[in-house]
Amino acid sequence: MLRMEIALFMVLAFVAFIYFSAGKKNTELHRTFSVLLITVMIHLVFDGVTVYTVNHMDTVPVLLNEACHRIFLGSMLFIFFLFYRYIAILVEEETGKRCCMDKPTLIYLFFSELGAFLLPVHYAVTPEGNYSDGILMIFCYVSIALYFILGTGLLFSNWNRIEKKKKTAVVIACLVELIVAILQGLHHTWLISGMGITLITLAFYLILENPDILRAELVEQKMSMLYLKSQVNPHFLYNTLDTIRIQAQLNGDKKVADLLMRLVDFFRLSVKVDRPMVSLDDETELLEAYMDLMCYRYPELQCEYDIDPELGAELVPNFILQPIVENSLLHGLKNKGYKGTVNISALKTGGDSFEILITDSGRGFEQGKKEIIDEMLLNYNKQEQKLTGNSIGILNVQKRIKLLCGREYGLWYTENEEGGVTAHIKLPLKEE
Amino acid sequence: MKKLRVLLVDDEIMIREGFKKLFDWEAHDCEVAGEAADGMEALAQIDALDPDIVIMDINIPVMNGLKVIQLSRIKHPDTAFVIVSGYDDFSYCREALRLKITDYILKPVNYEEFGSCIDNLKISLFNKNSSGETEQYEERTINKITRYMQEHLADDISLSVLSEEFYLSSQYISQLFKTEIGVNFLAYLTNIRMEKAKKLLLSSSLTIAEIAEQCGYGDYRVFTKVFRKTEGITPSQFRRDFLDS
Repeated sequence: MLRMEIALFMVLAFVAFIYFSAGKKNTELHRTFSVLLITVMIHLVFDGVTVYTVNHMDTVPVLLNEACHRIFLGSMLFIFFLFYRYIAILVEEETGKRCCMDKPTLIYLFFSELGAFLLPVHYAVTPEGNYSDGILMIFCYVSIALYFILGTGLLFSNWNRIEKKKKTAVVIACLVELIVAILQGLHHTWLISGMGITLITLAFYLILENPDILRAELVEQKMSMLYLKSQVNPHFLYNTLDTIRIQAQLNGDKKVADLLMRLVDFFRLSVKVDRPMVSLDDETELLEAYMDLMCYRYPELQCEYDIDPELGAELVPNFILQPIVENSLLHGLKNKGYKGTVNISALKTGGDSFEILITDSGRGFEQGKKEIIDEMLLNYNKQEQKLTGNSIGILNVQKRIKLLCGREYGLWYTENEEGGVTAHIKLPLKEE
Repeated sequence: MKKLRVLLVDDEIMIREGFKKLFDWEAHDCEVAGEAADGMEALAQIDALDPDIVIMDINIPVMNGLKVIQLSRIKHPDTAFVIVSGYDDFSYCREALRLKITDYILKPVNYEEFGSCIDNLKISLFNKNSSGETEQYEERTINKITRYMQEHLADDISLSVLSEEFYLSSQYISQLFKTEIGVNFLAYLTNIRMEKAKKLLLSSSLTIAEIAEQCGYGDYRVFTKVFRKTEGITPSQFRRDFLDS
């Protein structure tokens, strides 16, 4: 019999490993399941130990045997309490009502645990094997039946308000609990309580707590955040800005009106972010709006464009120029007091590709910085997912170019002879 | 030239105010004859005022702008409709083109550049009228000048070149444009250059630099800039948009 306990323990240890290494939301349900997993593992250990000790009563000290049995039964009672709690929380999450049985069950748990450690243990010796019986076992059955009734009661009283998948998990768990308890009650020597408990835990794990579902929950949560964000209608934003612009101009403030106009342009163009590829013209227009605003803020900043008009219709990944230029401004020109020039040019490089060059007259790379950037852009797909930092922008550009255009295209930096750096973006010409 | 009468239709008072006060109607020989804030009001105003130009927002209450144009077209075939559309309802514009609107502009409206829209209206009006030839002396002169300009678009055309060609003073020619067409010389020149550029963009496979040259722009960058200013999109976008649809 010991082999079954070992196998069950290993299965649960495996489940626990996957479960604890997966990312999940910190909810009461998941916390309860975590406690349940650990308790079941402890329980299984003592299950195994008691199976051994109860059959070797002549060699094992009576006190040790008794202690193991009490821990085994105590943890079993706690597990069934947790099963009940788990169902109760599940129902609570679905219906939004707190269950009124929380306190009584907790009090009952306390007394049942007290009982498990105080009531006398009795052992039955049979040719098929030994097992514990007597008042303590009857007490255990009664407790399990009590939790079972409470759990199924909760389930059926809220039957229509619980999601189908969750209902399935609870029904399977309850059925296993019922069948195993009856079989164990009829055949005392089968010692299948550990198996029953493992099966119930697995039912919850497979249906409700497996990493895929947890991840899906996380993604869903993020998506709903995004959805909420998008609820702030961008059109509302730039229509309002436009009204302010007209008012400014009516008040005679032409400068403010012009700036607002460019800001409106910038927003209007950035609203198109849902498309992965845009024309180079669209992309330059966005950049121009951005640079106009920056140049107004920093009057000594200058921007030059030299874009081959034939390339205007070429498709490029959306939003690649602005992050690169922003990077040039922040790292190259900021410390020169935003005094200098950014030149954006696009030219055919022969063959079936073209290149966009973003040249700044800034400070250039700091010592050793270029190597770091080169390394990062070369091994773009091995970089850890950082969500902050200065290089996230260009890394993101690199990733999108590689993904949308192909591995042979991408971004790299060179240093200019006359100071400053040049960002090169190589992109494919569309095949005609 | 008699003043062109304009009706403004937009549900936002600020936008109507902007049009009314920020654009120099006087300088463009126009006057704002009326305003409307919704589709029904617009219909009634068009019937009551019979305006030359209606500046129409598409997204207006009660009845949308396109419906208003459709309904008014029959009774007012000569009225020019200029559609003002937000980028969010840009897709309407394709439908608008089918309704033979005269022009469309996108919000946010740049009031300084709105003048070129009015100029275009006047030039198309002039082209329509001059096809029905009249026998007046001045009419012919202006027609001769414009024909010469059409034929020499790739060359350097200026008032002084024209004055040598036609033995007329530059001031006189300049005045002629103002009185006959209602736009200044440069606006007319830009207009016909852009018209030619658009034709070439759609009917030929010439590069943009070549088209720029044929339209009298030595530097394609200047050409692209002017094109975008008047058409709202770049030459290559223009080409692609029409070839796609």
